[in-house]
Amino acid sequence: MSGALLLQSLILGILLGGLYALLAAGLTLYFGIMRVVMIAHSAFLILAAYLAWWFNQQTGIDPLVSLIVTVPLFFVTGVLMQRLLVSRLKPLTLTMMSVLLTFAVALVIEGTLGFLFTGTQRRIPLPYASESLNFFGAQVPVVKLIAFGLAALALAGLFVLLKYTRFGQALRATIQHPEAARLVGINTDRVAGYGFGLGLATAAIGGTALSLDATIYPSLHWHWIGPLMAIIVVGGLGSIPGAAIAALVLGIAQSLLQLPLGPTWAQTVFYVALFATLMFRPQGFFGGRLAQRF
Amino acid sequence: MTAPRHGRRIAAAIGLVSIAALTVTACSGTAGEAEGGGTDDPIVIGISLPLTGDFSEPGKGVERGYEAWRDIVNENGGLLGRQVELKILDDQSNADRVVSDYESLIAQDGVDLVFGPFSTRLVVPSARVAQEYGMLFVEPAGAAEEVFEQGFDNLFYAAPAIANDHYNNLADYLLALPEGERPETAAVAAMDDPFAQGTAYGLRDKLEEAGVEILVNEVYPPNTTDFSTIAAKIAQSDADIVIGGTQYQDAVNLIIALQQLDYQPELAAFSTAPTNPEFAAAIGGATEGILAPTGYSPKSEFPSNVEFVEKYTEMHGNPPSEDEANAYTTGQVVAAAVEAVGCAEQGECQQELIDWLRDNEVETVVGPLSWDETGKPTGAHLMQQWIDGEILIVLPEDVKEADFLFPKPAW
Repeated sequence: MSGALLLQSLILGILLGGLYALLAAGLTLYFGIMRVVMIAHSAFLILAAYLAWWFNQQTGIDPLVSLIVTVPLFFVTGVLMQRLLVSRLKPLTLTMMSVLLTFAVALVIEGTLGFLFTGTQRRIPLPYASESLNFFGAQVPVVKLIAFGLAALALAGLFVLLKYTRFGQALRATIQHPEAARLVGINTDRVAGYGFGLGLATAAIGGTALSLDATIYPSLHWHWIGPLMAIIVVGGLGSIPGAAIAALVLGIAQSLLQLPLGPTWAQTVFYVALFATLMFRPQGFFGGRLAQRF
Repeated sequence: MTAPRHGRRIAAAIGLVSIAALTVTACSGTAGEAEGGGTDDPIVIGISLPLTGDFSEPGKGVERGYEAWRDIVNENGGLLGRQVELKILDDQSNADRVVSDYESLIAQDGVDLVFGPFSTRLVVPSARVAQEYGMLFVEPAGAAEEVFEQGFDNLFYAAPAIANDHYNNLADYLLALPEGERPETAAVAAMDDPFAQGTAYGLRDKLEEAGVEILVNEVYPPNTTDFSTIAAKIAQSDADIVIGGTQYQDAVNLIIALQQLDYQPELAAFSTAPTNPEFAAAIGGATEGILAPTGYSPKSEFPSNVEFVEKYTEMHGNPPSEDEANAYTTGQVVAAAVEAVGCAEQGECQQELIDWLRDNEVETVVGPLSWDETGKPTGAHLMQQWIDGEILIVLPEDVKEADFLFPKPAW
């Protein structure tokens, strides 16, 4: 195996890991704030990808511009979904029932996309889809770089929001100890709604990033939910930095392991990591006390 | 209290008996129709198709092809002077479901004939059911070699060639090149799917046997979404030619991943996707020189194809593609046997239809078809190539629409 191939695969793995990090961020946020296992997150990713494609088809403008509409739209949808559906689940069975509820939401999204756009695979015809930059002899595909940049920006924004704003403090307090947060006067219900909205807003960005370099079809979300779940468990449920680091590590591992093992076995990296984490560190690598409580 | 309760019981009993009687009447009516086969009754053809699930897109294409065949046959006076009806069930791309669908179509509904479903994965289990009932089984989409290794004596594939032979014309062309011009190395990537692998491995094995070195030989699962590392391996190998055993989505993603890594092969061949109407737009127009085998061209001048393309275009606003054509061909093959033998019902007639097809050639929209004893067609696929924004037939020489572009220009 040549050094050039290793460097090429490493670069591709980092770019892939960055995208995984963004796609998984929302998923860990829902669980962190509300203990909700949001199976429909990947369906919302595909919905955002479809909206980006549709926007491009209608206007011919770069799909990234669609974010101006989809991010607020998904945020509001998230707030409404939390208020109208998730908040009605009983606290004692919330986690389990959220799996069923969001599974149903995923089916509704998939069915609606199939009805509106048929099962035909779609891809956005970008003029820069095949372009790449040369980096020490390795090629860095422009679309993957844009998706990575978008992921980095969105995650940095999320980090700043959570770390340095009052809303972020309230959200983190709700994640760390909901009862105590309530006692000090935080409206945890409202925080939960906004947190859910924030999760779906990341899905809007992630789905658009995904649409730049992938063929999409309505049932594609089932292929994504497994790896994304594995990432947030390995990173530690509720930990956004944990999800980001796990996503990068697993993205790179998947890319490098493909060289000796081939694509079929490399995909198992997520499930092996999930299994090992549950066996030896069930709270994940950055989950702290949170996962132990639930 | 006793009297009304007693009355209700009687009423309920009468109701039950009435329902039972009606059900029996209805059932016997159905059976009578199925067995009677009066001269004015329509010929009912049972089909199960993946109208939902993983194969729903090609499944719907096959449905459109069957329906176009039915409409044209009925407009032309039907089969044996009887109208044709299709009874189509949705198997949801599920192999268990397809078995129960054909069981119920044959045994309960008593259909006269059956047509096959889409995809090798559904053709094999459904052909087994048809064989148990002694039914003729002509199918439009089970192209993998394994279909013909099952020992079916009732099955016929309604297309010019099976998957492993799709690239035969290309292999013949490359191996006939002078020593210095012939490619020396190849990279192969195939989806883990009997059809897709069959197409790529047919060409790979012929080239390897002739001394071409296979530098990369990758298999990826059908749900693969990221092709960048597979592409990196192929690009780093710098193989002279790349062969893809692909369906649609994976071919598009793999080609773009190869383009992103600036890999410039002398020849790039991918099964299925390049003939798809959306292919050029999906890969941003960088199609020049890409090759694909195909069993059908709407432009071909086989007599029945002109009528088919005209009628289909009138119905759907665009010409048919390979899935529709293979379904239409299935109808033509069965119709030829029915007209020749003079019957179309379950029982002895089915064996007569099978025997007739064993010994005869049928004119279809994909050309004249005949079969060996396993049901394998004895023809060959055409090679098409993207030239100046159009996909044109380049091989074999006697039917080509343009000269074969080799080596291919940069994409």
